[in-house]
Amino acid sequence: MPKQQMIAMILAGGQGSRLGVLTEYIAKPAVPFGSKYRIIDFALSNCTNSGIETVGVLTQYSPLELNSYIGNGYSWDLDRNLGGLSILPPYQSLEGSDWYKGTANSIYQNITFIDNHNPDYVLVLSGDHIYKQDYRQMLRAHIEAKAAATIAVREVPWEEASRFGIMNTDEEGNILEFEEKPANPKSNLASMGVYIFTWKTLRAHLIADENNPDSRNDFGQNIIPAMLADRETMLAFTFDGYWKDVGTIFSLWEANMDLLDRPQEINLQDAMWRIYSRSTLQPSHYIGENASIIDSILTDGVEVYGNVKHSIISSGAVVEEGAEIKDSILMPGAVVKKGCKIDKCIIGIDTIIGENVEVGVTVKDGRADFVNKKFCSDGITVFGSGLVIADNVKIMANSMFFPVDEGQTSDVILESTVLGII
Amino acid sequence: MLIDAMGIILADNGRVKLGELNDERALAATPFGGRYRIIDFMLSSMVNSGIKHIGILAETKYSSLMDHLGTGSHWDLDRLQQGLRIIPPYMQSDFFRSPSPQDLNGLYDFLKHSVQMHVVVAESNIISNINFTEFVKEHEASGADVTVMYNHDADTLGSPNVSLTFEDNKLVDLLIDPLNLTSDCSSLGAVVLTRSLLMDMLTQAISRSEVLFNTEFILEKYKELTIRGFENNDMTLRVNSLATYFSASMRLLESNILQKLFKAENRIYTKVKNESPARYLKGNHVSNSLISDGCDILGNVEDSVIFRGVKVGKHSKISNCIIMQDTVIRDGAELKNVIIDKDSVIRSGVRLQGSPDYPVVIRKGVIV
Repeated sequence: MPKQQMIAMILAGGQGSRLGVLTEYIAKPAVPFGSKYRIIDFALSNCTNSGIETVGVLTQYSPLELNSYIGNGYSWDLDRNLGGLSILPPYQSLEGSDWYKGTANSIYQNITFIDNHNPDYVLVLSGDHIYKQDYRQMLRAHIEAKAAATIAVREVPWEEASRFGIMNTDEEGNILEFEEKPANPKSNLASMGVYIFTWKTLRAHLIADENNPDSRNDFGQNIIPAMLADRETMLAFTFDGYWKDVGTIFSLWEANMDLLDRPQEINLQDAMWRIYSRSTLQPSHYIGENASIIDSILTDGVEVYGNVKHSIISSGAVVEEGAEIKDSILMPGAVVKKGCKIDKCIIGIDTIIGENVEVGVTVKDGRADFVNKKFCSDGITVFGSGLVIADNVKIMANSMFFPVDEGQTSDVILESTVLGII
Repeated sequence: MLIDAMGIILADNGRVKLGELNDERALAATPFGGRYRIIDFMLSSMVNSGIKHIGILAETKYSSLMDHLGTGSHWDLDRLQQGLRIIPPYMQSDFFRSPSPQDLNGLYDFLKHSVQMHVVVAESNIISNINFTEFVKEHEASGADVTVMYNHDADTLGSPNVSLTFEDNKLVDLLIDPLNLTSDCSSLGAVVLTRSLLMDMLTQAISRSEVLFNTEFILEKYKELTIRGFENNDMTLRVNSLATYFSASMRLLESNILQKLFKAENRIYTKVKNESPARYLKGNHVSNSLISDGCDILGNVEDSVIFRGVKVGKHSKISNCIIMQDTVIRDGAELKNVIIDKDSVIRSGVRLQGSPDYPVVIRKGVIV
């Protein structure tokens, strides 16, 4: 195969356990986002727009939905005769079989895949961040500095720095020290989980790391510190655009709302940097006679007959007459029936909310038995996918609705079907 | 069931032109319904029926048609074998110059190198989500030479109307735009016949220098051939004039039509544009309208079809209009019964009003 300058490896195998019911059956990168996207669209589109033609997607946790969404990469122009997109699950070999033990181990297990493409550099990305980045600029800096690794960083507010992996650098941006969630941060440059490695160097470190029985085989915890200890040239590359980790219910909700409140920051309308997604084969959306929609984004197949305010409505979702939706996210195929009052909710794929249901911070006397402080905060309520919610129920904010197990009954969740395959 | 049929779609129909909308593009490439071109319906219907080898007989002005169709990938027609083939006119040889604006030699060669038993020949200007499986099956079972699809929908006929008269389900008369309707059967512009019979018909036509190939060309042979009818009961909109184009577009706003066309098990495919979601901003009011991705809506829109990437400015009023891709309606413009083609700009304060029977048409790329 002809030599490639850089290939990308997208880490998409994690569960995203802090998203609760939203990632119960689907991997986090496949979670719907921003009306017509899935989270992984951003990483894949960044690769395509940066001219990267070979992309490996490492999957492990609940990959069915993710696999069928990505397909052969056609929607992102990654269906290629040479290279293109490959889905890389853990596999069995003569030496045995193993799950991906950590981020570094998942790359280690695919050393042969990378060697086959014979790249000079490997870009390692997370599949669950919302941002637009031209990786070519980062590669240029990496090559000029003759670095072994270049890590994309962004300045975070000092008071939040102790929540991130922090890079301490000299004036030229050389990384001197890496601290994971330091109590007393010396810098406010946080890692974005975007790495460019010189493949030869990384390859040697991956093998050494694998042979270390004490290692957790993780990039942040093991590989980066080991490379620093070996005095490799490590560069911090500052990125100052919009970037969001959507790891929690609140940050997922907030990143969606950013599309409404700060649309210029991520600018989805930029024709020079399209975010591609898989087509849902739906017609233009229909707005009925008595509908009102304000400060919201909608996409194909949506039907609105009610009132929508400051919300994100995804493909094929329906808002019936008299329903009021505010500060909410309707995922694909969600239906909100007549007379509902929905405030600060995330409604999962194909879930149906019965007539006159009320949810939100203004509900004072609602059902409290679904309140879930483990995942929910800030008054956000989350409905999983494929649920049917009974008519006329009032629900307290901060609730989370999981499917009921077979044989069990609930007076609120009338039906739940395990979904997942688009 | 898998049917043994290929398809031919006619990009133009010599008798149909949708005014200025077809000045620069073939009939088949006319934008329709917010995000489609009218050929998408016949093309998707064929693909959904298992017809996966399809030739598009192009005549003239096919640049935008070719841009739309590309490799056929959006219809799953980018195949290792067969798939989509555009047949534009070209000179077959220096000795034989086809007098036809279509390339009948090219069509003949395409048929010759195909392998399917049957050919479904269809006009492109029927908006429907049709399943051809039964049509082909019944044709096979009946032993007819040709089977033509028709319906009884007299409401949306418009002109030209190809009126068919059957006796014992055998075609005995064919009239185009008869003054008095003697039959309530109107052709839906789709016929099925064996590939070998179609090749025989083409050979004769080419040697006699006949110039126009469409479904009537086949149906006119009713005296020599056994032509039977197949009644179709699907929801169907005919687009054969600017007036029927306008009314068919507006009928998409009827809920049952939208559901039957677009939300049935079989989907209508089109070229994917990757526009961002539509944004509804302060001051907008939208009622009974279809709106597409990439739009920014700040003004008033009612009873209209708005294509992808349209910007509707503050205090503007759009009523009973079709606004095509990437057109900009500036603040305060007022439009009623207007069709605006792609990439146009309507400046602030401009007022345009047509009649519902005779809409005003603004050509592609015009600044008003």
